[in-house]
Amino acid sequence: MAAQRGLPQSKESLLQNYNKRLKDDIRSILDNFTEIIKTAKIEDETQVSRATQAEQDHYEMHVRAANIVRAGESLMKLVSDLKQFLILNDFPSVNDAISLQNQQLRSLQDECDKKLTSLRDEIAIDLYELEEEYYSSSYSQWDSTDLPLCEAYRRRDSWASPGSSCSSTQGDREDAEGPPSQEANPQHHLNGHGTSSIEKP
Amino acid sequence: MANERLRALEDVEKEIATVMQCAGNIVLELSKDKHNASLLDRQLIQFQASVNRVENELSGQIRYLTQVATGQPHEGSTYSARKDCQMALNRAEYAKVKLGELGRTCEVMLEQQQQQQT
Repeated sequence: MAAQRGLPQSKESLLQNYNKRLKDDIRSILDNFTEIIKTAKIEDETQVSRATQAEQDHYEMHVRAANIVRAGESLMKLVSDLKQFLILNDFPSVNDAISLQNQQLRSLQDECDKKLTSLRDEIAIDLYELEEEYYSSSYSQWDSTDLPLCEAYRRRDSWASPGSSCSSTQGDREDAEGPPSQEANPQHHLNGHGTSSIEKP
Repeated sequence: MANERLRALEDVEKEIATVMQCAGNIVLELSKDKHNASLLDRQLIQFQASVNRVENELSGQIRYLTQVATGQPHEGSTYSARKDCQMALNRAEYAKVKLGELGRTCEVMLEQQQQQQT
């Protein structure tokens, strides 16, 4: 009852109208059908001639059949209105539909981002190797302040474990020291490789 | 849940059509000289059952709507999730475009190298 009192007048009157239409249409179908069946009964005694009575019965049946069809169409219209009302005002189902849609969209987004992240990791590995190859070749013109990825990783590893050797390819690198010494001695690569003599203090 | 109720209403529409069909078959059978009594009985039972089903189902739906309808507009939306998903798809598409460019660049370089070797 509290839920019904909470409804605005328009919604309540609308639902009462739906109830009334339902009752009227069902009543119309049943009454008209019953009357058609009654009219189909053959009577021996009639007040008017048989032809007139037959004509009257025919017309009455025609009208009642049309009433049944009209009531049926009115019921279809009522069903359509109920569908519309349900879509707009059935909050539990609307909430369920929204949460389901949100869940599907979020899972799609997570899947997409997960695949992009794995792709990024794979490409970073390949990029590491490519940079190592490129910066050890004669084609590179790298600035010491702009460390390539492989060099940055190598330096990080060497700082982490100072006892280990700087690199396995000492002859291929220009220097094994910090960037300032690099700026002081900008040496060009010879024969496609780094200079074999590494300047040490 | 919403789909079930809408599906139930579509079944009601089919029931209404069945009601009309049964009424027409009964009147058609009565118009004949010799009636098939069993057919008439079957059609009449089906007619009454369909009418009762239609009435009960629609009454139930109206009762349910009386309980859940608030009169307020629903303000829920899937916009934010949809936007986030759209942005993720855009990121994937962008990555695809960039990888395509990288692949084409590599192919061009390889072709140039092969031409130089030949």
